[in-house]
Amino acid sequence: MLRILKDYLFVVFVIASAAAAIIPLFHILFSVFYNGIPVLAKYGMEFLTDTLPPPNKAGGGIFPAIYGSLTMILLSSLLGIPLAVFAGVFIAEYPNNPLSRAARVVLMIMLEFPTILVGLFVMAIVVIPMGTFSAIAGAMALTIVMLPYVATYTEQAIRSVPRHYKEAGYALGLKKFRVVFSITLKMAKKGFMTGLLIGVAKVSGETAPLIFTAGNVWRSTGALNEPAGAIPLWIYYLVQQPYANYHEIAWGAAVVLLTIFLAIFLPGRLMVRS
Amino acid sequence: MSAIKIENLRLRYGELEVLKRIDLEIPENVCYAIMGPSGCGKSTLLKVLNRLVEMNHNVKISGDVKLFGNSIFRMDLTRLRREVGMVFQIPNPFPHMSIYDNVAYAVKCNGIAKKKNEVDEIVEWALKKAAVFDDVKERLKTKASQLSGGQMQRLCIARALALKPRVLLMDEPTANLDPISAGKIEELIMELKKEYTVVIVTHSPGQAARVSDFVAFLYMGNVIEFGKTEEVFENPKNELTEKYVTGRIG
Repeated sequence: MLRILKDYLFVVFVIASAAAAIIPLFHILFSVFYNGIPVLAKYGMEFLTDTLPPPNKAGGGIFPAIYGSLTMILLSSLLGIPLAVFAGVFIAEYPNNPLSRAARVVLMIMLEFPTILVGLFVMAIVVIPMGTFSAIAGAMALTIVMLPYVATYTEQAIRSVPRHYKEAGYALGLKKFRVVFSITLKMAKKGFMTGLLIGVAKVSGETAPLIFTAGNVWRSTGALNEPAGAIPLWIYYLVQQPYANYHEIAWGAAVVLLTIFLAIFLPGRLMVRS
Repeated sequence: MSAIKIENLRLRYGELEVLKRIDLEIPENVCYAIMGPSGCGKSTLLKVLNRLVEMNHNVKISGDVKLFGNSIFRMDLTRLRREVGMVFQIPNPFPHMSIYDNVAYAVKCNGIAKKKNEVDEIVEWALKKAAVFDDVKERLKTKASQLSGGQMQRLCIARALALKPRVLLMDEPTANLDPISAGKIEELIMELKKEYTVVIVTHSPGQAARVSDFVAFLYMGNVIEFGKTEEVFENPKNELTEKYVTGRIG
């Protein structure tokens, strides 16, 4: 009887713990959509295409932030993905090379590295020499944040391919780059693509590395060498303002940010499941 | 001239000596079996012949292997691997490629044929040579992973033959197959040895006796005995060989 009770209590405890872990996530999702969707409905399409209105004035939108975010995500992907893929390939293919071992350790540390420090680093090497915050500096900071995710997933994807397939490739006289890119990476497409999407999704929501790099602006010229807005930065600054319409806009921006994040992240997760 | 001449070959992984002073001569257009119990070094010896063993970390090789008179260690790796094809223990066609591409890919990469009709011809020829064409001719564009184990292994043989090698290495090619598929592969080996030098590694003395003309018995990195298959099986000179072929060790 006692054993059955213990077993029952264990199951209840596990379910309760799981619920406790999941509830905050659903609460975040719920409150973002609950508070944000009415804002989008009220502001209409202009919310995506217009600029920030003056305080306590109706209308307006977050276009400069969307433009800045998408530009920096795109730039950082163009910079980061090739670099990270080659790094992952190097670590997986030359596991005994001292540089490869060091790179693996550095990437593991970078995965957990405080991203604000990445921002400070890029500020020192890009922002200060350039004399201005810029989309380029923001994209570079995001690249550094993205690198370890994509590289680590690429490495794991390559390692997951059984060795005899690589041997078969080499036994056919294929060169290393063909074995890696035409056989191993294609066979490990799922793991590799997941890493890629998780890396991009991760940087799409980053705020800290942009504070000292992109700078943030409410109106931008769109030039890459000038300060840029970003959705998370706008949310961060808007909620600190004492104006009701800015708080509204922050909720709407949160929905847009979450949608971009989920649009990148969910296909990645679905791919892993399939 | 012999197809392969192994001279004073030694191989170590770090401190572990896996092959100890191997000397063998493999004549042209025969099936030469390397047999021995698990862990005796027979797969390692086979992978020396196309230098695949060098993929391993910390491997040290001394001695020489000559392929039709030329040292394989001074040969361009791509050329060596075109001349020496290999079939593995696990049937391993590339699962993300179609049946056609499995055969055509290395043909195109190695520049053997560039035009589509030339590649098509080679693919068909290789699939026929490996006795798998009739099984797959209607579905060349489907993924190779859809095939049965035996068909996959014959596809792997076709993939190797498409590069027009002179030597075919087979590392326990039937170890993962059902008896009927294994029988078909053995029949195929009997056909292939008329035109190619086939070196087969097997842990089964029965298979060595069925398919090979010559055999070498490897035990703990040493060649214990070698010679014509009939002689080695019917009149083994070494006690270990006798124990192995009669199933008392293995």
